[in-house]
Amino acid sequence: MKSLLRIALGLVVIVTALSAVQLSVHAQDNPRRPVTDDEVNAVSKKLYCPVCENITLDTCGTLACAQWREEVRILLSEGKTPEQVIENFVARFGDRVVGTPVDPTLRALSLVTPWLLSTLVLLSAAAIFIRWRKESAAAPKASAAQPSVQVTTHTLEEYRARIEADLAARR
Amino acid sequence: MLAELGFIATFLAFLAALYAAGVAFHSVRVRDDRLLLSARNAALATFPLLGVSLGTLLIALLTQQYQIAYVWNVTDPNTPTFFRVTALWGAQAGSLLFWSGIMSAFAFGTIVLNWHGQRRLMPYVIVYTMLTLAFFLSLSLFFENPFERYWIMPDNNVVKSVFAVGGAVPPASARLAETANGLNPLLRHFGMIVHPPLLYMGFVGFIIPFAFAMAALASGDLSTNWIRATRRWTLLAWVSLSLGLVLGGRWAYDVLGWGGWWGWDPVENAAFLPWLVGTAFLHSAMIQEKRGMLKVWNMFLMLGTFSAVIFGTFATRSGLVDSVHSFARSDIGFPLFAFWFGITAVSIGMLLWRWRRGDLRDERRLNSWLSRESLFVLNNIVFVMLFIAIFWGSFGAPIFSELFMGTTITLGKDYFLQVTPPLFLVLFILMGVAPLSAWSVTSLRRLGKALIVPASLAALIVALLALLQPAEPPVLLIYGIIALSGTVALWETVRGAMARHKSLGESWYRAFTALIARNRQRYGGYLVHLSVAILGIGALGSELYQQETQRTLAVGESLELGGYVMRYDGFLGGQIAEDGRIMDIAQVTVLRDGREVARLRPRRDFYPNAEGMNSMTIPAAHSTLENDFYVLLVDWETISARSATFKVFINPLINLIWWGTLLLVIGTIVAMYPDERIALVTAKTAQPSQLAGAKA
Amino acid sequence: MTEWHVAEDILTDQSPAKRSVNFVTVLAAVILAGMALIFGLGLRHQQQTQPTEGMAPLFTLKTLDGQEIALESLRGKVVVLNFWASWCAPCRDEAAELEAAWQQYKDKGVVFLGVAYTDTERNAQAYLKEFGITYPNGLDYKTKISALYRIEGVPETFIIDRNGHISEFAMAPLKRTQLSAMIERALAKGTQP
Repeated sequence: MKSLLRIALGLVVIVTALSAVQLSVHAQDNPRRPVTDDEVNAVSKKLYCPVCENITLDTCGTLACAQWREEVRILLSEGKTPEQVIENFVARFGDRVVGTPVDPTLRALSLVTPWLLSTLVLLSAAAIFIRWRKESAAAPKASAAQPSVQVTTHTLEEYRARIEADLAARR
Repeated sequence: MLAELGFIATFLAFLAALYAAGVAFHSVRVRDDRLLLSARNAALATFPLLGVSLGTLLIALLTQQYQIAYVWNVTDPNTPTFFRVTALWGAQAGSLLFWSGIMSAFAFGTIVLNWHGQRRLMPYVIVYTMLTLAFFLSLSLFFENPFERYWIMPDNNVVKSVFAVGGAVPPASARLAETANGLNPLLRHFGMIVHPPLLYMGFVGFIIPFAFAMAALASGDLSTNWIRATRRWTLLAWVSLSLGLVLGGRWAYDVLGWGGWWGWDPVENAAFLPWLVGTAFLHSAMIQEKRGMLKVWNMFLMLGTFSAVIFGTFATRSGLVDSVHSFARSDIGFPLFAFWFGITAVSIGMLLWRWRRGDLRDERRLNSWLSRESLFVLNNIVFVMLFIAIFWGSFGAPIFSELFMGTTITLGKDYFLQVTPPLFLVLFILMGVAPLSAWSVTSLRRLGKALIVPASLAALIVALLALLQPAEPPVLLIYGIIALSGTVALWETVRGAMARHKSLGESWYRAFTALIARNRQRYGGYLVHLSVAILGIGALGSELYQQETQRTLAVGESLELGGYVMRYDGFLGGQIAEDGRIMDIAQVTVLRDGREVARLRPRRDFYPNAEGMNSMTIPAAHSTLENDFYVLLVDWETISARSATFKVFINPLINLIWWGTLLLVIGTIVAMYPDERIALVTAKTAQPSQLAGAKA
Repeated sequence: MTEWHVAEDILTDQSPAKRSVNFVTVLAAVILAGMALIFGLGLRHQQQTQPTEGMAPLFTLKTLDGQEIALESLRGKVVVLNFWASWCAPCRDEAAELEAAWQQYKDKGVVFLGVAYTDTERNAQAYLKEFGITYPNGLDYKTKISALYRIEGVPETFIIDRNGHISEFAMAPLKRTQLSAMIERALAKGTQP
């Protein structure tokens, strides 16, 4: 399996090299530089492939992912920055290849919505609380029923008393 | 024979559950105790009946009855006995039946243990548990039947059916054994024995508090009774779910080989969501127990927890989201969806009905911004916000975008690490402050005073962490906040014991045990707080300071990472394990400061018979409290193996996660531990009031 | 999502609260219905499988040599739409068979279209060269065409008849004889429009 992949990849590289010579001249403007596995992994970590759900490219074991990693390596060796490589992948394969969409509308939908909803929750909770305070200010007897709890605790004896008071309130 | 027996037992359990639900409901309307007893017996009977059906399936797995399609799907002649047992929950059909079995066990337990204490709620508890059970059994009977067998029809077509079909003959057993699939390689791991049962116990266990909450709504006994009666059940479900979640993480860490333990995958999140609501409930239930407040809210949280449980089940078993963890696409998607919708609509409807009638009025109101109650409420709000963020990221945005914007998107770790950390941080701050505040009202001055010792302890921990792993000041601050939440819990316990030691003259040991025995719930809870702080530091450290590198080494060469040196010693190719998998093993030596600390064997397992994903990269790790040195064998030169490619991770503090979880279990056991004296007292005092309630 | 919306107002439990309860009831109903709609549709969407009849979804394929081919412009011809990828081993088994079938039918009112799923231009070009494939092939830009046809993997092949209806669908690598039979059936269908 693995050797097959190697051979296939080797073939791909050779063929691409040959066709690159034929098709384009400017490929030779950027002399290829060696790219380390770590550089490839750093970019792959940010990419998701469509054939392996929710696993990043650097940990996915399928042939498709191996090819994509090779593509990352080639793009890096052509002098592209990691950001450019990711942009390139998004342009070709869509927003699903990154962990948060790049498209501004989708990005906003993803990232702003939870905060929007959370703010709503927080605001309504605060509104309710303020209403409750107003109510208890109108009828103060309810809160006066618990004097023992408000003792300030300076000594350990008082602390123990408080623990016992809490315990009693539970029963 | 086995298939028929298992099927009939399942079918009888289904009938018994339906009968119990119907008769229990009827018995309340006609006030007939004999009918109720009959319903009770039927409900109890589901447990032994499902015991029989699970037992037959297990025997079929162990004795290799490959004519049964499920057995053929999840085992083959090479499967070791051990994995034959775990194959019981290795695929959809078996795990559904297993799920129902656990549910009937919980129902059995609550009927036996809570029958006398909760006579008024019990009929409805039977109704809700048994209806849920009947639903899940109907899935097993009509959609995902684990007892179906293969038959060859006279026209040579293969059909699946439980019972012998006219003219059909069973396929040749040798041929069946030869073609059997074998267990999914991902599931052949020790973690898979305990992770699914615990997760199911966590999920299913919430049926008990849910059924009691619904029973309270239906019967009108809307006191705090339902919370008190189910406190231990809720804790049992909660601790199982917590443990199930972390063990799932451990399994991912050991088997999936991506160097981490939590991937924010939709399926992981589906199990985390009920945990969030359930944890919020555990906290706010205390306010109702002690202060008679937040009745509607508590009810809502419990109903929400179970709704999240069913939603999670639906999402993971229907193929709603794609994930490495999810079951194959299945027909049970729409029934589960309908059940989720039905159960949510009915429970929310009943809650609104009671609320409208004014039956859920609180005894007190919140009246201070800085009291224990208000901090608990804030804690609840933050849990809900986390729920929203994670729910939206896992199920909301991806589905919304695919349906209405025509674009498939992935929300991965990237999203969750942008949205959730501030919320987790607020939770840790609240964890630090709330135990120090008093009910009703508190002052900042008092808070400050109480913080002196825990804060110095936390500072000490931060200093220690900084020594181990140089970190930026903001990170140190966050470490400090998390540590504080633990030291506060620790110090509160020590202070309580000190008080007893000083004022009552008890020995230290006696002071501690007596203190905890007086209020297990609180001190068990503090222990859980401490464990969560430990877990939090582990999660943060391993996330922020993970280092990794990938290198190709020739035999004898070494690489260096984070103070460790790893040398590639040699390669053992084509080792055949007893279950038929082929292992390619690299041998490496790990050195630190020139001394050998470990010999590791990262490997690649290849499963020749498995369909789909048939090879797995199994990491090897050298663990210390400080960090894990974690090695993956990525690739090697096929023929000579003279060189091999390794991916190496340093995962700092990751072991705190496992140790913290152990402490969490201990803490929960302390909180759950039955207190006989109190149990007797409440039983005695509860009796008359319930009779009065029943009359009214 | 339901949870919190209800939650915020559930806290308002107030004596003259009938009105706010009504509000919450309506809100809860709306949210629950909304969630049911989204997840119901989501589930239906997920469970949709490859179309095997009816109009073939329309698309425009940009081929590797720069042409743009719209499916609509191929009415009156039978279209063999093949999804493949250079990383897919079974695709390699059928590549030569497809090309042979193309040579046989290219002058008989049949068009072959190859769509490379999640492939890179480099690898796709190399694959086409390796198997000497001459019919038009293009990359599936942002996997849009694959999504339209709900493919589950590669190779998958759709045969579209002269009226633009899906005639047949195959999920496995095809042999030349199978493919010929499928094309013949599609050709036969379209003769009496």
